[in-house]
Amino acid sequence: MLKDITLGQFFPGSSFLHKMDPRMKLILTFALIIIVFVSQGFVGFGLILAFVLLVTLSSGIAFKFLVRGLKPVLFIVLFTFVLNVFFQTGGEVIFKLSFLRITDGGLRMAFFLAARLVLLVICSQLLTLTTSPIALTDGLESLMRPLKRFHFPAHEIAMMMSIALRFIPTLMDEANKIMKAQTARGADFENGNLVQRAKAMVPLLVPLFVGSFRRAEELAMAMEARCYHGGEGRTRMRQLRYGWRDGTAAGVMAALLAAVLLLNYFRVV
Amino acid sequence: MPIEVKNLTHVYMADTPFESRALNEVSLRIEDGEFVGIIGHTGSGKSTLISHLNALEKSAPGMVWVNGVDLGEKDVDLAKVRRTVGLVFQYPEYQLFEETVAKDIAFGPHNLKLPEEEVQRRVRNAMQQVGLDAKYAERSPFELSGGQKRRVAIAGVLAMEPSILILDEPAAGLDPVGRRDMLDLIASIHDRGVTVVMVSHSMDDVGQLCDRLFVLNHGTIAFSGRPEEVFVHGDELREIGLDVPECTKLADLLRKKGFDMPEGVYRMEDVRNAILEQLGKGGERTC
Repeated sequence: MLKDITLGQFFPGSSFLHKMDPRMKLILTFALIIIVFVSQGFVGFGLILAFVLLVTLSSGIAFKFLVRGLKPVLFIVLFTFVLNVFFQTGGEVIFKLSFLRITDGGLRMAFFLAARLVLLVICSQLLTLTTSPIALTDGLESLMRPLKRFHFPAHEIAMMMSIALRFIPTLMDEANKIMKAQTARGADFENGNLVQRAKAMVPLLVPLFVGSFRRAEELAMAMEARCYHGGEGRTRMRQLRYGWRDGTAAGVMAALLAAVLLLNYFRVV
Repeated sequence: MPIEVKNLTHVYMADTPFESRALNEVSLRIEDGEFVGIIGHTGSGKSTLISHLNALEKSAPGMVWVNGVDLGEKDVDLAKVRRTVGLVFQYPEYQLFEETVAKDIAFGPHNLKLPEEEVQRRVRNAMQQVGLDAKYAERSPFELSGGQKRRVAIAGVLAMEPSILILDEPAAGLDPVGRRDMLDLIASIHDRGVTVVMVSHSMDDVGQLCDRLFVLNHGTIAFSGRPEEVFVHGDELREIGLDVPECTKLADLLRKKGFDMPEGVYRMEDVRNAILEQLGKGGERTC
């Protein structure tokens, strides 16, 4: 039952997107999300959608991975869509039934909002699918470095993230083992009502927590034994370097932004 | 009553690129009251095999029987199977969770929905069996030493009063004294009439205790039989990443040098007697 949880959904590859610098990917993903929210018309959304599809195709990632990632947010998308269709006013009334009114303005609004949500999820997914967790934390750390001036612990946060990611499989393994051991002692994790099942988790969670603390202590000791003393003066094995891909991608993104802004300016819908 | 395994095959992650065959057509039979050792290298399928013996891994019907009950059947009474077959995993001390030792040992019996007095009797009994003084009953298991924690965990399984006890590497990670104590403890459990199956990769441990051995290699049984029958295959055992007990090694080396040593000896005193005999001084004198 624990096998169903898939985390760190990195999809290895060697495409343009995979080879980009993680910092640039983070920045451009953020830029793309802003573009998605700036865009006001169908033409603009069409442009963005075409761009996202093109990028997905070039990255070699199967569409079914993107679709699978959309499933959890499907409910929210539908919910906001329905809410907006019925409660947004403005424009001509198309349909009326007692207090329910559907206006063309509301319909547009609802459509745009749903499209924005879907694009938002797809963009962030493209980032995590093409960037290994380690590269991602490296990139984040590097981007957060300027904040150090304000005593923001950029290195520590990045280190915490990499450690957390590294231990997810270990903990899953451990949870499976403990579950087996308690099942052998007659524990039942599958049957019973909600309260009984919550109670049945205690024999699993307590050893899991104890084990995590033990591991954390061991890891801290091992890190100290290798002279870890925080991020100060630390050099890295993988140096991040911007390349031609990053410049090209930034250019393309700037062009997309300009196009969307122009469309907005001339009120093309 | 016996354990019987017939042509058991187990494939992990079937039909995916990660498919791996943990067990391949394994057949074995363990009689009542036997002390059986299962040896094999890491990844040879030992742990998968014992998981099947207690229905933690589900097999197809007609592969695993315990006391004549087919564990592959859909309507098999799992609670009853787990009461009959006690399973102690590797490093069992990491499964402790209760506030006190007594409560932790009582977890199994409580799951069997036994009356409170019976639970308490079993807890006392199990603690005594593993050599834990009654004064530990109200202590937190997390305050105890590693060896004591392991005893608590084993007591937790013994409190289910299984007629078959399976232990996966019970002596792993213990210091030499703790190791000897643990093996003595297991021997004493066996003396009480419990069928014991011990998984190990230490030839010395299984040689010392077991009546019969099964050697697993890549999911199949490579050798089986009494220890002396298995330990004559020294070279083959080394080939699959295992070895023979230290004293067997000594006897083998002496034989290669031309001394008349028996094959497959695995008990320290037998080897000693054989050496003394060779020295022409008789086996009676103690050295």
